[in-house]
Amino acid sequence: MRFLVVDDSSTMRRIIINTLNKLGYTECREAGNGREGLDALTANPVDIVITDWNMPEMSGVEFARAVRANDATKAVPILMVTTNAAEGDIVEALKAGVSNYVVKPFTPATIKEKIEAVLKA
Amino acid sequence: MSVPHSLLTTLVSATEEVFDTMLALPLQAKAPVTGPLDVPANVVATVAFAGHRRGLVVVYSSLAAARQITSSMLGIPVHEVNGEVPDAMGEIANMVAGTFRNRLAAVEPSSDISVPTVTIGTDFSTLYSSAVFRSRCPFDMQGEPLSVELILTGDQVGGLK
Repeated sequence: MRFLVVDDSSTMRRIIINTLNKLGYTECREAGNGREGLDALTANPVDIVITDWNMPEMSGVEFARAVRANDATKAVPILMVTTNAAEGDIVEALKAGVSNYVVKPFTPATIKEKIEAVLKA
Repeated sequence: MSVPHSLLTTLVSATEEVFDTMLALPLQAKAPVTGPLDVPANVVATVAFAGHRRGLVVVYSSLAAARQITSSMLGIPVHEVNGEVPDAMGEIANMVAGTFRNRLAAVEPSSDISVPTVTIGTDFSTLYSSAVFRSRCPFDMQGEPLSVELILTGDQVGGLK
């Protein structure tokens, strides 16, 4: 299973990748914002994208819209990991094409559960 | 001017949730205080919020505490922590402010939060040019002092209904 982790915080990228590694997912790449994420995804397809919401240059929601607008990437599941948990935030993210949602702070069990959910969908 | 108790209780529980879940570092909350910092704080991480309420959530820690927090977040020994402290402390402030904001948004109109800013240094203090309501929630983190301050301005400075 190949993952792309998109987050402007290097700390959060490492936390997520450490979590994925503990869950047995070792093929992880990373990008520092939505623009870099889009470039990385176009160059090398992955099975799941995990993205933050608030990022410079291109936010997670803009990134999700761009992924869904591209025939080559539109089917990839997108898991959003963010502190934005108001009902309106979740609706906006889902409308943009986000497949599922993890609110920070999170446990490894939550990440595992959400990955399984987006793979089943 | 101090901040309503219900908001401070919410801030304390948000901070405890972040430290319990992401760091496995239990915090011992002390009584909230108003007034200048009474412990050295070399690392100050700030996140602003605006919308229904306006203000700041500010995390103060010593450099030693910040390195311990960074070590726990990244799963590396403290002696291997190098340049990661600013990003890690910014992420802590982001999660504390975000969790606080989400809890308020469950019972009142929501606010948006900013990206974090982190200041590291010695012999500095933070002053505000306009009248603000501010209270600080001190914690003990395995012997290291840590504080989270809530600063409110504007019209919406009352407690939760």
